[in-house]
Amino acid sequence: MNEIKLIDDHLFGISDPADALLFDAMVILDNTLPEKIVWQQNTHTVIQQYSRKRLKAELDNVHQKLFSEPRHKRFRQKILNLFLNR
Amino acid sequence: MAQQNDFGSAPAQREQFFINLYKKAFPKVAGYVSKMGGSFDEAKDIFQDALVIYYEKLAAGSLALHVNEQAYLLGISKHLWSKKFRENVLQTDLDAAFDTIETEQHQPSSIKLMHYLETAGEKCMEILKAFYYDNLPAQTIATLFGYSGIRSATVQKYKCMEKVRETIKEKSLAYEDFIE
Repeated sequence: MNEIKLIDDHLFGISDPADALLFDAMVILDNTLPEKIVWQQNTHTVIQQYSRKRLKAELDNVHQKLFSEPRHKRFRQKILNLFLNR
Repeated sequence: MAQQNDFGSAPAQREQFFINLYKKAFPKVAGYVSKMGGSFDEAKDIFQDALVIYYEKLAAGSLALHVNEQAYLLGISKHLWSKKFRENVLQTDLDAAFDTIETEQHQPSSIKLMHYLETAGEKCMEILKAFYYDNLPAQTIATLFGYSGIRSATVQKYKCMEKVRETIKEKSLAYEDFIE
């Protein structure tokens, strides 16, 4: 688990000097580490893509509620009026 | 990785947070898009993209809270609108130039990978989202996901990172063209 954290700290540029030194030594000694760093970076990209997709679904759900539920009728009317007669 | 978001963690809190933002800022954005000749659907798309940008900045702690959300969201939306307008002009030219090229019908491997993670790995992806994207405090994540404390939530975060990293590696090599 510590290795995952060390890679994270390295990727985010938040390693403290002692850990940075340890990490540099590990990269030299463990030839599987450079590949793990690349895959962990890729994983962060995938986490961001996944999270954006989830956030967009959440926002879409909010939009649907605002433009369908009776309690938001005044708000809805105010917006829809902006697009009338166009 | 400052933690200063206040958009809540429970689904109902988050929903209320977004409803409040919508009510504060969407009328101005919709008014602007309408004035520029855009449609209701275009206003929705622009505003939701602006909300994603705003959310990410808040989560990353790179935006002071309550710094006139309305003005900020309107500013991003105006920027996105002008960008979209420029791209539409470009797109029209490209369409004209390449209209004879057939679109290849296939499912990109990255979509397959995402689908796999959304189904088989959803629990881990949600934990990783909470830590890395929403940037929620570890204690909040522990409560949200039913862990006994910060330590077990953090251990789970690293276990999930290792598991998902291995899955991505395995699937990507199987799908070959994931890393484009």
